[in-house]
Amino acid sequence: MKTARAAAIALLAVIALIALAPEWWATNRYETQFRATPDAPPSARFPLGTDALGRDRLSRLIYGTRVSFLLAPAAALLSCIAAAALGGLAGLAGGFLDRTIVAAADLFLSLPWLFLLLIVRACLPLNVSPAASVTITFLLLGMLGWAAPARVVRAAVRKLKSSDFVFMARARGCRPWRLLWRQLVPNVAPILLAQFWVSIPIYILTETTLGMLGLGVAEPLPSWGGLLRELEGGYFIAQPYLLAPAILLALVVGSFQLVLAREDFSI
Amino acid sequence: MAGLVLAAGLASAVLVRYSPGALVDQRELNQRLGEDSLAAMRAQKARNSNVGANFLAYLRNLVHGDLGYSESNNAPIASLIADRAPATLRELGVGLSGGWLIGLGLAIPVGRFRRAWMYDAASSATAGLLLSLPAALLAYLCLMEGAASGTVLVIVLAPRIFRFARNLLVQAYGAHHVEMARARGVREWRILSAHILPEAAPQLLALFAASASMAIGAAIPVEAICDAPGLGRLAWQAATARDLPLLVNLTMLVTLATIAAVILSESMTRKDAGSPV
Repeated sequence: MKTARAAAIALLAVIALIALAPEWWATNRYETQFRATPDAPPSARFPLGTDALGRDRLSRLIYGTRVSFLLAPAAALLSCIAAAALGGLAGLAGGFLDRTIVAAADLFLSLPWLFLLLIVRACLPLNVSPAASVTITFLLLGMLGWAAPARVVRAAVRKLKSSDFVFMARARGCRPWRLLWRQLVPNVAPILLAQFWVSIPIYILTETTLGMLGLGVAEPLPSWGGLLRELEGGYFIAQPYLLAPAILLALVVGSFQLVLAREDFSI
Repeated sequence: MAGLVLAAGLASAVLVRYSPGALVDQRELNQRLGEDSLAAMRAQKARNSNVGANFLAYLRNLVHGDLGYSESNNAPIASLIADRAPATLRELGVGLSGGWLIGLGLAIPVGRFRRAWMYDAASSATAGLLLSLPAALLAYLCLMEGAASGTVLVIVLAPRIFRFARNLLVQAYGAHHVEMARARGVREWRILSAHILPEAAPQLLALFAASASMAIGAAIPVEAICDAPGLGRLAWQAATARDLPLLVNLTMLVTLATIAAVILSESMTRKDAGSPV
């Protein structure tokens, strides 16, 4: 298990390195068309062949990794910040504010994410730019994912608020801001870190599903979801190299699962 | 519960109305439409743009059993939902029952036979692999094998149920009273039915509510890809056609179903906690 975990961390590090600078690794730009060779099989020039528009599949996979692999943590960070602010506020303030935030969290938790994402993503203008589509998709992911971590943060803050060391700090005249920064935040941080790591594979999978439904990142910008749409025709049985994005996705999400399995995030 | 459902409906209406491009209508691109038709279409869009007034009107009609009219399907929404709901309910039934049967069925031996590490590793690795793939991709792969959408839901749900149930059962089988019972010669099925399952019941019931919510969420991409005539496909079509009344109704229905599953699970958990084991 230790070896598998080390391998998973190494794999994630390598993929992160590739995702950070795709232009170093890709031989072509993701939108460059080789019109003389559409639907080309794998060769030395195009290791994964070319798509129907003559674009290098490997280069698109590398650029797609940047979109899916780097923006999911950004969305996770956004949802964790929102969860920390709202969950912390609910736990500290209590009363009406607490009830309102909990009710809002319940509302978000009772709706399947994918359903809300479908609704909003489908309402974007038809001529939305690829950069706008990718920003909106991941912003939505970040904004919708705050509810579950916020409930965890709220529970932790409420528990910490009534703990002995906070009581002692108060008794010694510790000011509210100092109490927050020196006592509460360091104790809630590991929980938020856990929520952050757990959210990343969820966001990657959600973006992939949206992309496969045609509601993810707009063309010509590649993402794993968009690349997996090539499987729609069922040609992957005759052309197994079409499964490359699926294999990469399984490896990345599986690696996150392995890494998270042994983490001890308890306070 | 009613407040939460209404809030979900209103939230979805607001989300759709204030999304960029909400007032764009693809039908305006049709060059065969005359100026009068375009003006009528824009006037109707303008009338529908007041979310508050429309939502109140919708609630008034809802009291009389009128869910409104779907422009994209050219049919009353109540009849559309009534037509599609049985297919989705059947799928959810197959998915949940199959998922639980396989997930729990695979988890029990992991808890029971602590030395069966190879079986544990193999089943956990398979579950991990399936959990690493999105429901839409599983639907593509299953579709190639001619599998029905209900079967795809089984494959989506079983690894999730297995993973939770495995941890619960390993913990329950490791309890001292279980070891005592085994030492006294109590049979395995008796240990399972009288000690393990009752002890894990509250968490398993909570997992049931979560799995129902997961099934509803997974039904949308699965139905859209498998072309199954259910509510998930209807939701996808409504989203792509920007059919606001249909989307609001489906959001409220999905919220109602999810909350009902949670309340059912909570009430059963309370009942279970109150009854002597």
